[in-house]
Amino acid sequence: MIEISNLTFRYREGAEPTVRDINLSIPDGTFVGITGAAGSGKSTLTYAINGIIPHCYPGDFYGSVTVDGLDTCEVSLTDISRLVGSVCQDIDSQMVSSVVEDEILYGLENFGVPKDEIEGRIQEALDAMGIVDLRDRSIAGLSGGQKQKVAVASVIALKPRVLVLDEPTAELDPASSVGVFRLLRSYARNFGTTVIVVEQKIALLSEFADQLLIVDNGAIVFRGTPPEVLAHSDELLEIGVNCPRSTSLVNRLRAHGLYNGPAVCNVPQAVEVCKEVLA
Amino acid sequence: MNGFLEYVPGDSFLHRMNPVAKLAAAFILVIACFATSNFVVLALVLVLDAVLAAQCKMVPQALGLAKAVAAFSLLLALIALLFTPRGDVLVQLPWGYIGTESVVAAVLVIVRLVACAVPLFLVFYVTKLNDMANAMVKQLRVPYKYAFAFTSTVRFIPVFMNDMVGIMEAQTARGVEFDGGLAKRIRLMVPLCVPLLVSSVRKTNSAAIAAEVRGFHLRTRQSGFKEYPFATRDYLALAASVVILVLAIVF
Repeated sequence: MIEISNLTFRYREGAEPTVRDINLSIPDGTFVGITGAAGSGKSTLTYAINGIIPHCYPGDFYGSVTVDGLDTCEVSLTDISRLVGSVCQDIDSQMVSSVVEDEILYGLENFGVPKDEIEGRIQEALDAMGIVDLRDRSIAGLSGGQKQKVAVASVIALKPRVLVLDEPTAELDPASSVGVFRLLRSYARNFGTTVIVVEQKIALLSEFADQLLIVDNGAIVFRGTPPEVLAHSDELLEIGVNCPRSTSLVNRLRAHGLYNGPAVCNVPQAVEVCKEVLA
Repeated sequence: MNGFLEYVPGDSFLHRMNPVAKLAAAFILVIACFATSNFVVLALVLVLDAVLAAQCKMVPQALGLAKAVAAFSLLLALIALLFTPRGDVLVQLPWGYIGTESVVAAVLVIVRLVACAVPLFLVFYVTKLNDMANAMVKQLRVPYKYAFAFTSTVRFIPVFMNDMVGIMEAQTARGVEFDGGLAKRIRLMVPLCVPLLVSSVRKTNSAAIAAEVRGFHLRTRQSGFKEYPFATRDYLALAASVVILVLAIVF
């Protein structure tokens, strides 16, 4: 359970708060997608959940964030990390080893995972990300997408209660992106892991997430299930968030009074709506 | 093409040795090379170098290194040649003379540096940095912080070199001409160190955060998953290098 109340954060070098008046409660096992225009404060919002603010970046922190009952301001970053696994946006600088296997081992060793479990966890994580063949490769020689998969694998191997991922599919091809999202959803469903993903690809988010958060100028402007949020496609466009085309089409049908059901997130749903309207 | 200190995979004797043992053996060989002036002992080390390089399938790289070291030691050899007036006079110089022994001393400098550089070079390329660091933490009880600082430094060198190339390409695209004399190039590169420094500080900062959120502070000597026991081959290799050291000191 993640509880954010009245969170406002201003970086020391910033004139204005980067996130403001955030109130949010995320039950266990929820898949939350966060999106918004560049510079809207999405990443800062994830930093608040994984404890990077206030622990690593100086600034003014108001309000409170609790993860599983722990106030992130009161416990150390290491203690938060036992619960929250994070994948940051800058893939290159978050690698701590030179070989893929060691990268996945690193967190397992540090958090004291029993040694007889370690081999299984490595294998499972590599398998889940489809990178078993990269196990002995040097990280410097991997492509951006491969590095991204390694970064995700090294965090899911830790089996944290909460996963926070900042644009985990930015360098992945469409098929792998869907694969990552499918995997994240299975963690949420099967293990009750809370998954929080910042992502620009709203079509993917609305397909997989239970809840969508749209951030604009440091505040949450829309939140709800994907159909609830996507019903506002015009307002979303104004703040720089493009909806999937299937959504826009169905919303236009609604604007013309031809349809009054919920918004859709993907092409098959849009096809159904069109059939219904045409019938 | 392999990057700086990028692991060369393989299955040779040297690959399978304990990281601490190989490092120790390499250092013993280095000491041996400096302790002796006997060409037979140095030749023995050179032969050993060649065998090891062939075993690791790194002959071209080792030859490349040998050439680079030889070129560098040429300068030292020149100094030895001009300033060790010993043996029969060959050439009279205003401050002394070049003797037969000076020539020997000059050749010795080159052979010695090449002979001692190759084992160290091989050891660093056939050992995964993490294995080296972890073994040092486990067996030599080096504090993990220092081992991590060492591995991170080596890991970041290519990253920063890439950044510099990127910055220079961006400048070239905007009309800065980097071709030309060395002095001009350096003059143009100096101001670029500012953006490089800024991005480096940022990168190291996020690397530190990434390590911290994966439990850096929890790591102890016992954390390492892999064990690095000494095997017979390690004792053999250490014994062999000690024998060479003794030979070097005796002759």
